[in-house]
Amino acid sequence: MLKLNNLCKVYQTEEVETTALDNINIDIEKGEFVAIMGPSGCGKSTLLNIIGMLDSPTSGEYHFLGDEIAHANEKQLANIRKKNIGFIFQSFNLIEELTVFENVELALLYNDVPSKERKERVTRVLDKVGIAHRAKHMPSQLSGGQQQRVAVARALVAEPAMILADEPTGNLDRAQGEEVMDMLKKLNEEGSTIIMVTHSPSHADYARRTINLFDGQVVTEMYRAAE
Amino acid sequence: MFKNYILIALRNLMRNKTYSLINIGGLALGMAVFVFANVLAQYERNHDIFFEKSDRIYTLGSVFSPTANIGVKGTDGIYTTMAPLLKADLPDIEAIARTVQREYLLTMGDRNFYQGIKFVDKSLLKIFDFDYLAGNNTALDDPSGIILTESLAKKFFPGQNAIGQVLSLDHKNDLRVTAVIRDIPKNSHFISSLIINEPLEAIAPLKALNKIADYDLAGNWNNLSMGNSTYVLLPAHLDRQWLEQQANDVFERHASESIKKFTTHLVSRKIEGMNLVLWEVTGMPVLESMVVLGFLVLIIAGLNYTNLATAQALGRAKEVGLRKTMGANMGQLLTQFLVESVATAFLAMLVALAILEILIPIFNDSLGKILTLDYLTLLPSLFGLTLLVGLIAGSYPAYIITRVRPVDALKESLSRGSKGSMVRSIMIGAQFVFSVFMMAMVAVVFFQNEKVKESSEIFPKSQIVTLERLGVEDLLARNETLKQEISAISGIEWVTFSSQVPFDQSNSAFAASKNSGDFAGKIIINQIIVEYDFLKTYNIPLLSGRDFSRDIANDLQKEDSEVLNVIVNELALKKLGLPTYKDAINKVFHEVAENPKEGRILKSFVIVGVMADQNFLGLHNSVKPLIFQVNPKYYQTASIRIMGLNFTQTMAKIEAVWKKVNPDYPIQVQFLDALFEDVFKIYKSMNIALAGFAVMALTLAFIGLFGLAAFMAAGRTKEIGIRKVMGAETYQIVTLLIWQFSRPVLWALVVALPMSYFASDAYLNFFAERIKLPIILIAGSGLIAVMLSWVIVSAHAYRVSSRKPIHALRYE
Ligand SMILES: Nc1ncnc2c1ncn2[C@@H]1O[C@H](COP(=O)(O)OP(=O)(O)OP(=O)(O)O)[C@@H](O)[C@H]1O
Ligand SMILES: [Mg+2]
Repeated sequence: MLKLNNLCKVYQTEEVETTALDNINIDIEKGEFVAIMGPSGCGKSTLLNIIGMLDSPTSGEYHFLGDEIAHANEKQLANIRKKNIGFIFQSFNLIEELTVFENVELALLYNDVPSKERKERVTRVLDKVGIAHRAKHMPSQLSGGQQQRVAVARALVAEPAMILADEPTGNLDRAQGEEVMDMLKKLNEEGSTIIMVTHSPSHADYARRTINLFDGQVVTEMYRAAE
Repeated sequence: MFKNYILIALRNLMRNKTYSLINIGGLALGMAVFVFANVLAQYERNHDIFFEKSDRIYTLGSVFSPTANIGVKGTDGIYTTMAPLLKADLPDIEAIARTVQREYLLTMGDRNFYQGIKFVDKSLLKIFDFDYLAGNNTALDDPSGIILTESLAKKFFPGQNAIGQVLSLDHKNDLRVTAVIRDIPKNSHFISSLIINEPLEAIAPLKALNKIADYDLAGNWNNLSMGNSTYVLLPAHLDRQWLEQQANDVFERHASESIKKFTTHLVSRKIEGMNLVLWEVTGMPVLESMVVLGFLVLIIAGLNYTNLATAQALGRAKEVGLRKTMGANMGQLLTQFLVESVATAFLAMLVALAILEILIPIFNDSLGKILTLDYLTLLPSLFGLTLLVGLIAGSYPAYIITRVRPVDALKESLSRGSKGSMVRSIMIGAQFVFSVFMMAMVAVVFFQNEKVKESSEIFPKSQIVTLERLGVEDLLARNETLKQEISAISGIEWVTFSSQVPFDQSNSAFAASKNSGDFAGKIIINQIIVEYDFLKTYNIPLLSGRDFSRDIANDLQKEDSEVLNVIVNELALKKLGLPTYKDAINKVFHEVAENPKEGRILKSFVIVGVMADQNFLGLHNSVKPLIFQVNPKYYQTASIRIMGLNFTQTMAKIEAVWKKVNPDYPIQVQFLDALFEDVFKIYKSMNIALAGFAVMALTLAFIGLFGLAAFMAAGRTKEIGIRKVMGAETYQIVTLLIWQFSRPVLWALVVALPMSYFASDAYLNFFAERIKLPIILIAGSGLIAVMLSWVIVSAHAYRVSSRKPIHALRYE
């Protein structure tokens, strides 16, 4: 699905230069469930953002579905992104002024899905994550766990080939966290590629493969046998 | 502690350079206008205070009865007989002096000048302490003495001592220079009054005018002319009210009932405001309007600032929330915000003063004023103003922000400012209304002026040169010779005489009726005295009938003519109730009068020609019923139509002819083009003032718009980021923001467009020939304003949305 070669990301600020990613080489196949772990500040989010094309690497190669996109422009990236990738963030990132339904619908809106089909698909996916009864609510009226379910629904609704999740359970309690992880697992079983950043070893256990980062470098990779 | 506040404030200003510039620039503009309006008003209200006794000098003016129906509420003078009466009845008055402005041809040796002279009672010199360079305040004791200003003395007698020199008036009477005074400062009503169009340069005793023109020294109850003021000097213990009271008593005792029917009472005025008296008597509160407008502009600039600062403050809600959770107290936060806005106001004031220091000299130069910023006296009020603006404009954002509960602020939803946004939308809408309105009005005024200019082209004005001031016996007698000699010059097509030329703003009219003696059915007809070739010189086409001819006796008016041939315009036919032009030839109409005096001949007019309606006065005037008649006694102006290419040479030849025929009078050349421009100047300056105002309004509105667009885009950065992650393209985000931003703007249009329409309609009603397209101009202004706002918003939205989405997501 994607392949990173000698990928580096350097942040240049006025005083200091931070190397957030240092020569990363990763291969991820279609249908994998990958967890990225490591101490705070080691570059996990940076890596995920680059994989998700929200940011560009400083150097190195990034092949996505066979195309080299490390140097593609914003418009091309946006196009690939909206067709293939769904995002789940630690801080949910829902739009406050829109209802739950509208937030989820957003992903389809920009994919030119006709209105009727949008409605069906949003309803279906809200059902799937168990939040359908809250469709008309505003995000601020929901609990953190409910909001994250909405975010999951939004990531799913366009049926992307790959879902990226940056600490999706970071703001949730144990039970809520488990629920979200179960949903991700189910999605993976249905064929989605999932890459997830997490601090929780138990949540990492849901993944088949764990990549450990330290100081911008891949230190270990661990595969878990299929159950 | 306070120093700390200021340091933080300055650091904040430095951090957001763009917004600080916008804030400071906008406020500075508003302050500059406000300060200027007030300083100018103050200047205009404090004229003549350099005269030593200015606090004791008053003038007397008349107030007309509303039934007098003459368009003004009063005048700046009193009947000429009042001064001797007041002097006799009120011994407490220290001095009283009348003045009469006249213009004469002055001759010294072989040089001639037309010059305005103020003829005065000699006591005037006791009232005003002019600055004598030679001679003293007894200069007018000599009934044939004259005082000249320094620059006039230099003009008349370059390099010579003016004292004792003799000036001859109209080649008849001699005056001798008895004193030379320094030029009167520009902030005197003698120079800058709107009534007097000539500055005071020469002063002669009324006794001289009595000798020259039989001026009635005892005065009479007939004559009130503007600019001919009567000045009174009171002893220190008496005041304006006393004078007004006493003067009215005297007026009551002496004036006849019929006078009182016209002039109800007298008013006294302090000398300081005499330069403004025209505005007072015409009921136009010009200075007051200016001050109010200045205040409005300041308010708009203040609103602008409040608007931007509120938006910016809401962006800092999180910071404030955090500070509060950390235990910062309300007072400290409030102080911090207010110190910041006061600091902004101070910087703005500095910029405003810099702007004024640049603009005031330009203003002074172009309008002949000597306005200055006197910092010593202004300092307290400037300081107060700055503080006030800073505190008031800053209080709303400070209030909003400190009201924020920590929990709301931390939830960060406030950065989108749902509460403040209504108020801000209204503010931006109001500004927009103002801008669109101004822009539309400027467009309408501009195009209407162009129209006026264009309709003036019916006369070949660029080919016509006029020679003026021919209405003197000597000159009238030589007109025939002059015409013959000038006609003989090559390149001259036509030479003709008339009582006035196009664009001369004077009306000479009389009452006429279709039926003899029918005064009730009268209409007022304007008459212009012309000579035989007038129609040809001015390209005025005849619809029917013939031009005047030298061979027909009745074409020429003589002393005792009872029947006169005339050429009329179509409107006159219509108003008189005569047939249309085809059948109007040889029809007759009559001069009428209410109570014709014994021996007065009421003429009958025979129509020999009909001309198309033409706007002879031009400009805003409506076309009037008009007749042309021939009467050599009343020629004032010669019109010469020049066709030749060699203009300068032709002009030189014309001047040579004049010198030969009229060696004793200076030639007064005026180009018809220049005459038009002269009258048109009023419209032009109105244009400029309006344009200046509009530019300011627009600048302020767009500063506001710019800032708000920036903040709106910034406040929604995160949302933009999310939408982008969801796959939104830049253009979709730009459209979304434009639409949301357009709402207050579109509402503003709903208000501004009809408002502009009614205002421009009222303005255009003033003109006889109007532009047809005010609606297009108004709609165009609205369109331009909307487009500009869109450009600003899209530029911002584009900037935010075209960056990597991660920047937007990380934005707090
Ligand atoms: N915009 C930026 N400018 C400068 N440095 C940055 C920027 N974003 C991240 N960094 C630096 O890059 C490094 C990696 O950051 P990153 O956010 O990827 O860490 P992380 O592994 O996700 O940490 P956490 O577990 O705390 O989320 C850190 O040292 C961080 O300070
Ligand atoms: Mg992270």
